[in-house]
Amino acid sequence: MRILVIEDEKKLAKALRDGLEAERYEVRVAADGEEGFRLASSDSFDLVLLDLMLPQRDGLDVLTTLRMRRVPTPVFILTAKDAIEDRVLGLDKGADDYLVKPFTFPELFARIRALLRRGCTDLVRKLQHEDLHMDIATRKVARREQSLELTGKEFEILECLLRHRGRIVSREMLAREVWHVGARATPLDNVIDVTMVRLRRKIDDPFEKKLLHTVRGMGFVLGARQE
Amino acid sequence: MSPRPLSVRARLTLWHAGVLTLIVCAFSAGILIFVRASLLEGVDRQLRRALATVDWVYHHEPEEIGDLPAESGIALFQLIADRNLPYHTEGWELAGLSRALPSRGAMPPTSWASPDGRWYRVQAVAEPSYTIAAAIEESARRDSFWALATILAMGTPFAVGLAIAGGYFLAGRVLSPVGAMADKAREITADSLGERLPVGNPQDEFGRLATVFNDTLSRLHDSFDRLRRFTSDASHELRTPLTAMRSVGEIALQAPLDSGRYREVIGSMLEEVDRLTRLVESLLLLTRADSSSTPPAREVVELAALAGNVAEHLRVLAEERQQSLSVHSAERVEAVCDPDILRLGLMNLLHNAIKYTPSGGAIRVRAKATASGESSIEVEDTGPGIPAAHRERIFERFYRADPGRPRESGGAGLGLAIARWAVASNGGRIELESEESKGSLFRIVLPALPKEG
Repeated sequence: MRILVIEDEKKLAKALRDGLEAERYEVRVAADGEEGFRLASSDSFDLVLLDLMLPQRDGLDVLTTLRMRRVPTPVFILTAKDAIEDRVLGLDKGADDYLVKPFTFPELFARIRALLRRGCTDLVRKLQHEDLHMDIATRKVARREQSLELTGKEFEILECLLRHRGRIVSREMLAREVWHVGARATPLDNVIDVTMVRLRRKIDDPFEKKLLHTVRGMGFVLGARQE
Repeated sequence: MSPRPLSVRARLTLWHAGVLTLIVCAFSAGILIFVRASLLEGVDRQLRRALATVDWVYHHEPEEIGDLPAESGIALFQLIADRNLPYHTEGWELAGLSRALPSRGAMPPTSWASPDGRWYRVQAVAEPSYTIAAAIEESARRDSFWALATILAMGTPFAVGLAIAGGYFLAGRVLSPVGAMADKAREITADSLGERLPVGNPQDEFGRLATVFNDTLSRLHDSFDRLRRFTSDASHELRTPLTAMRSVGEIALQAPLDSGRYREVIGSMLEEVDRLTRLVESLLLLTRADSSSTPPAREVVELAALAGNVAEHLRVLAEERQQSLSVHSAERVEAVCDPDILRLGLMNLLHNAIKYTPSGGAIRVRAKATASGESSIEVEDTGPGIPAAHRERIFERFYRADPGRPRESGGAGLGLAIARWAVASNGGRIELESEESKGSLFRIVLPALPKEG
């Protein structure tokens, strides 16, 4: 899978390159809008990561021109502008998804995976990790054949963790996917932490092997981390 | 090209002069008309008397008629009797006054100019057997009339000039407080917002203007103060996590560590980044709220359902602290508002209540219609209450009623500011009732639904 990163901020560009390469993607970095546009329109990539504020050529302009030339590559926007108008504008111009800076890498990777998978919808109705089983349809969770009673939010958190098992899930991701709240200006982080403690009490405390881990400063992970 | 608008002083002067000119002209015209009428009246009376005298002499002493000009000063007349030749005086003949008369019969008093430029007033009376005509020269009276007219005509521009000068001077004097205010206002800058405009008489027009301006300055002063305080608080809040990050990083780099320790250090730095991120997001939300031009979405929201939803979100926090959190609503309460923004506001209020209520306390959320028909959501807690001195200010950004409270539990002090903004942007307000050591009641009040139909 080849990803083109159009980002002028050197540190972030390097972090993106390193992070994506660690996820086994082939990465090409363009440092300004002009070069980015040239690469995106001439070479074939599976995904373009596009910063909106770029030297030479504005990110939205790059996006618009690409879409006018019928370049079908999915475009993922990274932007520091999070005013709703800016986001809507980006999506209107043909972007496939966006994240507002500062974003967390676990969430970026999760979204990129989702974008690249698009088309083959996730029809998995049963999730499993080691001896932990989840049935989405009947909303039943069991560990070692022992049924567990989870509240709605606990169930959704566990589902999110299971779908991304082995990878870090950040609080931002949980806020968005489980509570459907985008703004971080809410007291939701406390709620997430408390709910996580309770979930852990139910699925881990009675058992020898712990499945749910906290990664300090980043979020949570189910199972051993994939390096 | 449109002409440049004139100054107030010039406009006042022009109006003043214009009105005065009109008055002077009307007055002069009145005088002229009156004087002319009274002059003619005098001449006509003389003329009538001359005609009567000639008539009397003709009837009683016809032979004396030739002596009339010398004896009574009636120098210009003509007498035409049927049987005799017409008689006229020498003066009449000389002035050629016969041409002023109609061929026969009477004529009312009429002004007539002789070919040599003199003016006469001529009248004729006709009896069946004779006709008498008499004339009086009126050139002198005409001359004095025109002299008067000339004086008035020449005096008017002079009066107008005087009016302009006087008006200009008066307008300048009247407007001088405005100039003083402008000068003073120009001196007031962001650094000297404490200064005020001079108020001469607070009751007159300029005094009122200065008072209003001073009130505006006071409000500006207050908001500058708040901004200054906010900036210093914000920098302090931003500096705290930055300092933590820097020191954690610096210490970690002093000596080589094993990878587990590095993980811990980086994790700890990321936690500070998270704090910073949350702070910046809150600040952005509030600044955008200050300058937002996009109105919030408007829809009919059922408040009890919204309150229940928010309470469910935060219930785990209350449960952790063994607090009872209950939602009551006896009736359906609706309001028109942006549900996302209102939810954010209520969430901050409720979180605040959970945070400050001790373990084992109770928090009640109630949606109800107020007596005046407005919709409200109440959040009541059994916390320590808020001292009266803090009640006004706890909604300010970064304001903490208890500065000694650790930051981790106290937060950055933006929650209530966000709540207030969220409610205000929906056209509502937050009321606060509090009793120390008993608890507090925050009430979100939203405007009543517009009547249907």
